[in-house]
Amino acid sequence: MPSTRARHALITLLAAVCVSCLASASQAGESAPQEPAGWWVPDSNRIFPERANYPDATGIVTVLHAGGPVDTRGNPFFTSIGENGRACVTCHQPTDGMSVSVKSLDARWAATHGKDPIFAATDGSNCPSLPQDEASSHSLLLTRGLFRIARPWPPRTPDGHPIAPQFTIEVMHDATGCNLDPIYGLKSAHPMVSVFRRPRPAANLKYVTAYGFVFDPKTGLPLAIDPRTGLRYAGNLMADGRVRTLQEQAIDALRSHLQRYAPVSARQMREIIDFETRIYVAQSYDFAGGSLTADGVQGGPDALAAAKPGVLDGPYDAQWAEFAAWAKDDHDPQLTAAQSAFRASVVRGIDFFRNHTFLITDSAGLNSMNFGNPTRNTCSFCHNMTRTGMDVAPGQVDLGTTNLPFADPAPDLPLFKLTCKQQYPPHPFLGRVVYTHDPGYALTTGKCEDIGKITIQDMRGIAARPPYFSNGSAHTLRDIVNFYDRRYHIGLTEQQKTDLINLLRVL
Amino acid sequence: MSLPGKRRARALGRAGLAGLIGLGLGQIALADAGRAFVGCPVYRDTNSGRKSGCWLAIDPSSGIRYDISLGRTKPQIGREVLVEGRLQSASDSSKSPVEHPPCGGVVLTPVVVSVLSSICPVFMLPAEGYTGRRFVLDPKVVLAPADVIEKLPPPPYRARTWWIEFTYGSDFLQYQYSEIILDEIGRYIRASHPRDVEVIGYAVTQPRMISGRQIAESPQVARQRAEMVALALSRLGATPSVLHVTWRDNPAPLTHQAGLAEASRRRVDIRLSY
Repeated sequence: MPSTRARHALITLLAAVCVSCLASASQAGESAPQEPAGWWVPDSNRIFPERANYPDATGIVTVLHAGGPVDTRGNPFFTSIGENGRACVTCHQPTDGMSVSVKSLDARWAATHGKDPIFAATDGSNCPSLPQDEASSHSLLLTRGLFRIARPWPPRTPDGHPIAPQFTIEVMHDATGCNLDPIYGLKSAHPMVSVFRRPRPAANLKYVTAYGFVFDPKTGLPLAIDPRTGLRYAGNLMADGRVRTLQEQAIDALRSHLQRYAPVSARQMREIIDFETRIYVAQSYDFAGGSLTADGVQGGPDALAAAKPGVLDGPYDAQWAEFAAWAKDDHDPQLTAAQSAFRASVVRGIDFFRNHTFLITDSAGLNSMNFGNPTRNTCSFCHNMTRTGMDVAPGQVDLGTTNLPFADPAPDLPLFKLTCKQQYPPHPFLGRVVYTHDPGYALTTGKCEDIGKITIQDMRGIAARPPYFSNGSAHTLRDIVNFYDRRYHIGLTEQQKTDLINLLRVL
Repeated sequence: MSLPGKRRARALGRAGLAGLIGLGLGQIALADAGRAFVGCPVYRDTNSGRKSGCWLAIDPSSGIRYDISLGRTKPQIGREVLVEGRLQSASDSSKSPVEHPPCGGVVLTPVVVSVLSSICPVFMLPAEGYTGRRFVLDPKVVLAPADVIEKLPPPPYRARTWWIEFTYGSDFLQYQYSEIILDEIGRYIRASHPRDVEVIGYAVTQPRMISGRQIAESPQVARQRAEMVALALSRLGATPSVLHVTWRDNPAPLTHQAGLAEASRRRVDIRLSY
């Protein structure tokens, strides 16, 4: 039973949430359709507020548009400019921290009997050839939040030239039927590899496109330069790094997710990028810990909007220093015992994240550098960009979320057998034959060493967008922690797990 | 015998050097003719903070266990390594106290470790009282963040040659080594606009017998190394019109220091001319 003070704070907060929900529901035009609270329907002509708060499982996530309110009439991010009725916002819902959660997807299926454009056959179903009115045909979206990503085979360079892959690919288990489908499969006229992935949040993109250093330590090479801008590609966009800029990302998404095959105008492209690069998402309130933006703590999206991106964790700008104020010894008499305990747990979680070392093994992208295998290091070794937990270098790493034997059993996902050709080096840790649910970065580069590498993603606002990992294999924050504990034999105590979960929930 | 004394004797004894305990370590160093062997790396988990583990490998020709942790490239457990190096000199105790080997092996430094494709048993040791080395980042091998305004070298500019060394059979640009050199070259190129940037890749294809193995690089590695460095330089401002890329076999060593001469032949030379 919460204390009177805690209940008062909660009521105040929820009232604020409702106010912001009402604000976000205000109409820019009188003809805007009715829609369920929270879900943003394309072409609804609403005002996107400067700031909106949405409750999630552990608190409140705040979505900030750093440019003030946006009239979404005609804005291509909110307009169904493709063939299937979707807009960008369809899969980047503000209520879900600009991604989309299984909970929202399930509710949307129930509310529309599967007719919402988000369930479009092209990628919102297990395969377009399946009967689209049956929930079972959309099971990966409804249970794991996964969209079908059809990658060309053989892989192609960003400008469309085929790459000679270092490996062959066979379908061992075609759980969705799509990889052996005569129209959509690997043996079709236009061979494709169908993998299934979560949508990454369209938020905090200043950090996603930032790089800390000119050189990529994973390849030893300087980052490549975008000839259009003269800027270097950061290498952190998309799970498989298949696009290099936000413009390429938008083109890829418009074609593959909105089925918009004609190019958009320069103005529309500018509007999409201008909108999404002003969006910041982070938790701003925790049901147990209270405000994440008060008492000297700098959680929430405003601090993200103000801070410099691409900064490496270090003694002068430490990872998760936003919450350092909670480490003060002086007890605040305004806090309940539960709040104090929660905040202390978060502080312990940060200390563990930054300082507790364990043996990192067999992880291509990390151990395959000259660090050695194993190498002893911390969570922040990889999650090293301050404020987001991304990698300041291109963050393609094989944690084992998709490659066997480390991946969790997933009979509902496709399973591929990749065989590295004799003239090329095998995968550094898995050998010449690799079984994987998703070849990841290797579908972009064609290299054996890249099989199963998935780009490290932004950790902010994570509580608002379960499930987690690129294949939705972690349904809860605890599942994430448990995966790492198993994968690297960390030997976490129950207290340490709780501390790490509490850290994740305030991000 | 005191505990440190016991530890030292245990380490040296295990390393097969018990008969040399009466000698000063300086004398051992003076007698060093360099070491090259193929061995199976063993990881000792000393758990003294990040990057603190120890890497050990036994030279099969002597039975001596060496500490190869100070190599720029660390081993991969379960994969054989080619080790080339020298015994730590008595005067160089900065990286490792000579009297108390921190990992339980005879320290090689400098040492070059190359990961081979051949597999070997996976074996890890507990700390067993060894402390390992606390990782200390050498500021000389760290580049400034990307947003720091770069300082270009001032004139006068003159023809210069740099080289980048590689591990056996590899074209990988080693982290916290190669980029320091490449960054310097890139800044020199951007400041001086040379007429010619010549990139010459080398591979050592002459066979050597090491630990009963024939060690020889593929000639293709010379080209791969040259093209890798050329790609890096192109991303640092060298235009295609000035870049000239060639590759050859079996260059002369850059050093004649025991244990390191052969390693210095696996390299790429970069020459700027005006």
